[in-house]
Amino acid sequence: MKIKIKELNFNYPNFYLHVPELTFEKAQVASIVGPNGAGKTTLLKCLSGIFTLPPQTVWINGLDLASLKGAKRARLISYVPQELSSIFNYTVLDFVLMGRAAFLNPLSLPSQTDRKLAHEALAYIGMADYAQGSLFELSSGERRLVLIARALAQQAQILYLDEPTTFLDPKHEIEVLDLIKKLSRDKGKTIIITLHNLEMALEYSDFIVFLKQGQVVAAGEPIQILNESLLEKVYDLKIQIVDWNGKKFLVKKNI
Amino acid sequence: MKTKLRARLIIWLAILLPLFLLFFSLSLGTYPISLSQVLKTIAAPFFSSLEVPQSLSAIIFHIRLPRLLLALLIGASLSVSGASLQAIFKNPLINEYILGLSSGAAFGAALSLVFLGQNFPPQLAAFIFGVLAVGGVLIIAGQSETHLITLILTGVIMTAFFSALLSLVEFFASPYALQSLFFWLMGNLSLATWKDILLAGPLMVLGVVILTLLRWRMNVLSMGDEQVKALGINLRREKIIVILAATLATAAATSVAGIIGWVGLIVPHLVRMAIGPDNRWVIPLSASVGGGFLILADDLTRTIAAFEIPIGIFTSLVGIPLFIVLLKKTQRVWL
Repeated sequence: MKIKIKELNFNYPNFYLHVPELTFEKAQVASIVGPNGAGKTTLLKCLSGIFTLPPQTVWINGLDLASLKGAKRARLISYVPQELSSIFNYTVLDFVLMGRAAFLNPLSLPSQTDRKLAHEALAYIGMADYAQGSLFELSSGERRLVLIARALAQQAQILYLDEPTTFLDPKHEIEVLDLIKKLSRDKGKTIIITLHNLEMALEYSDFIVFLKQGQVVAAGEPIQILNESLLEKVYDLKIQIVDWNGKKFLVKKNI
Repeated sequence: MKTKLRARLIIWLAILLPLFLLFFSLSLGTYPISLSQVLKTIAAPFFSSLEVPQSLSAIIFHIRLPRLLLALLIGASLSVSGASLQAIFKNPLINEYILGLSSGAAFGAALSLVFLGQNFPPQLAAFIFGVLAVGGVLIIAGQSETHLITLILTGVIMTAFFSALLSLVEFFASPYALQSLFFWLMGNLSLATWKDILLAGPLMVLGVVILTLLRWRMNVLSMGDEQVKALGINLRREKIIVILAATLATAAATSVAGIIGWVGLIVPHLVRMAIGPDNRWVIPLSASVGGGFLILADDLTRTIAAFEIPIGIFTSLVGIPLFIVLLKKTQRVWL
């Protein structure tokens, strides 16, 4: 699904997010990067409908996001928060099953089909054996994966992930990013993630958006828009881009 | 397969436990009746060949049965309400007492009993003031409603406010009315009649049925507010429905038996410890265990001393130490 933004304005006290125009193409992985407080998560929450926007701001395949309410929206878009925070120690399967809420009326219980989809989602992320395990026993990498499994059970074509790799060790970071890439390639999902690791953002994204203080500084294909002056502008840091075997590495410049 | 067998076992236990306790409890009391006599008396209306003394059937059908049924209904109502509120407020420490609901409902019922007389059903007054109390807490706690400390402090304030109003009612009540009010407020089942069951029973059943139907949804509602929204749920609407249903059941229970605290906190806790936090099981099992628990508590209040202890005092005396043990045991990891 294609996501189009036009004149998005969102205010907090002391913060203003403004996106004049931006398009995310179908079946691509897009990253939103920028320093802390740039508005990455805010943008993601606006796009997912957690924060309410005025009509005619965001279009999903031509449908106005503001006209999509509750369950209808959740069947198109799933939002994966940064942390799995549950007060109650549910089983992994019960947690993943919650992704089915948009398909069930408030009075009904999940059906066999719902359970099957939840199991499939767990199998897809390679955690089929964890179904009966409990949430509190999971490592932070596993928790991230389980959150993604819940989003898969939601069967939405659009996935937003808020800093899916923060606090993960390199192995799990790559595991999660590989999974994200696979979801866009195999399942045709349109995926937007916020990231801090720029090298990973360059390697894994088809499209990248640089945000600073609520403003879009640059957006486009990573190879096309990336240069040292852009990085300096966004991060206030002198960074050298080093090419090695077709991969880009970022190194702090020694002055 | 194994889980299916376990599920079936739990279901049967849940149905049979309160029924067994109910039957057993019919034999307990100042006037001893043997279990076989109980069985005979219950069967008598269906088999004309069975003859049972008039006094026996009067004790069983007019005194003990309504009282035990009321205990069952109230225990189920308070426990299911407690479990539901804990889920939607994302906190296992929340109960109707902490949210100010009990004291609001108690004030409403007292107001109606003392001043409004027969024209205004105490159930309605209890419900109205119960809703006002919870609504007040939510409005004052505002956005921080997921923040435990703000919520609890606001609940404490609301409880204090309605306790003051209640004292005002007591102050203006006639000595005669005051006596019965006082007796009722402590949490009391000894005056239970079929009329109480007829008036408050359907409301309690309605509240419990609504909450039971919503039981899986409460799993989802126990997630963070933003997640709930992202999962496609109309958070505000569904939360309000749960709060209203819980208030209905609790207010109806309070209107007939006064404040019976801690049941709504202890029972769901015990159930979660036994079978985990999935509300598909926690809610219906809280109904059954809660009903059974209150019948058992009522049995004890009638038998451990020469006089009868008001059940509200009893559940607090038993519930609070039990809760402290649970608190210590689970530390910060909630089941």
